[in-house]
Amino acid sequence: MDQSSSFEGQLSALLPRLRRFAHALSRNAADADDLTQSTIERALRSRDQWQPGTRLDSWCYRIMRNLWIDTRRASARRDAREAPEEEGLKIGQDPRAAMDAALDLSRIMASMERLPDEQREVVALILIEGFGYREVSEMLGLPIGTVSSRLVRGRTALLTMVGDQ
Amino acid sequence: MNDEEKFFAWLDGELDPADAAAFGAKVETDPELSLLAAQHRALGSRLHAAFDPIAAAPIPERLQQAARPGADVVDLAAARRARLIPAIPQWTALAATLVIGVMVGTMIPSRSPAPVDVQGGTIYAAAALDHALDTQLASAPSGDVRIGISYRDRAGEVCRTFTQPSSSGLACRRDGRWQLKGLVATGGEGGDYRMAAGMDPALASLVDTTIVGEPFDQSREKAARDHGWR
Repeated sequence: MDQSSSFEGQLSALLPRLRRFAHALSRNAADADDLTQSTIERALRSRDQWQPGTRLDSWCYRIMRNLWIDTRRASARRDAREAPEEEGLKIGQDPRAAMDAALDLSRIMASMERLPDEQREVVALILIEGFGYREVSEMLGLPIGTVSSRLVRGRTALLTMVGDQ
Repeated sequence: MNDEEKFFAWLDGELDPADAAAFGAKVETDPELSLLAAQHRALGSRLHAAFDPIAAAPIPERLQQAARPGADVVDLAAARRARLIPAIPQWTALAATLVIGVMVGTMIPSRSPAPVDVQGGTIYAAAALDHALDTQLASAPSGDVRIGISYRDRAGEVCRTFTQPSSSGLACRRDGRWQLKGLVATGGEGGDYRMAAGMDPALASLVDTTIVGEPFDQSREKAARDHGWR
């Protein structure tokens, strides 16, 4: 197996996890798969920047997170330009209201969506993807104390939102 | 690190062993902290139950293609334009199959006693389900509940998958009781055991993320029962 096939093989093997992370970040399944595809394409184009011997998964997660931040910024600009009242409309038309409130699963996913971006990414990386604080601090380029405090705020808010039935 | 951050660092296994032991002892004697720890552990399980099925699901063809060397890369913008169906919130698709929580009580025919018991946000097996988990071997099915596989999880507890009319699930032995880790509505009418043939992907994923080693064979399953599932 040469270097390139092993790189692509490893990338393929990461797809399920990358997809899960994309779903935790994104608002819907289509956006999540678009994000996963962009991440794979970017990783293939930038493969020279990955240092063999370092973790490919952390490198790919970082690419995904940065692409996601870019699209969030772009859509925030678009929203501000086109639909300043969007926030109010969204509350009025929340599809969650139509869902059976008893579905814990939908509730926890919907609650994730409502977390601020900087808390959601930390919650997803540590509580779902299983990375350690230090790994996430390196991945996101943040002090470990910032990671820790965002995680506390995020998981506390989640627990309040999903309730304790 | 403030006290709150230290608590969560302890919960996440981020403290060094000496600090962790000291903090663990403190939590044990503090009912409020113990409750908080239990709530946050349950939250972690629920996050896994919600998102792990995505990692267990088949990868869409276009993503597989994108990762293949020399594959024709699908133009993302074109794919977006070609998408005729508006984006569906991700959870609606999954919510249709995986149901955890208070739905549990409503999925079971009302003539039988509730097979679950909810206490402080944790769901335990009760009645016939509890009895089956306690006594039944996969090789000797009887009654409405069928046992699938049994295994030991990362916490060292025995876990068992089961199928009952219209749902299947995973329960793990904790503190002498069967705690439900997941329950999937199979949508079948009474007596439908279609899930017995193959595990639901959501459950399979739960098993995958928690199992240590191999599922029990017949003799280990029986030995575990004879030792009270400890």
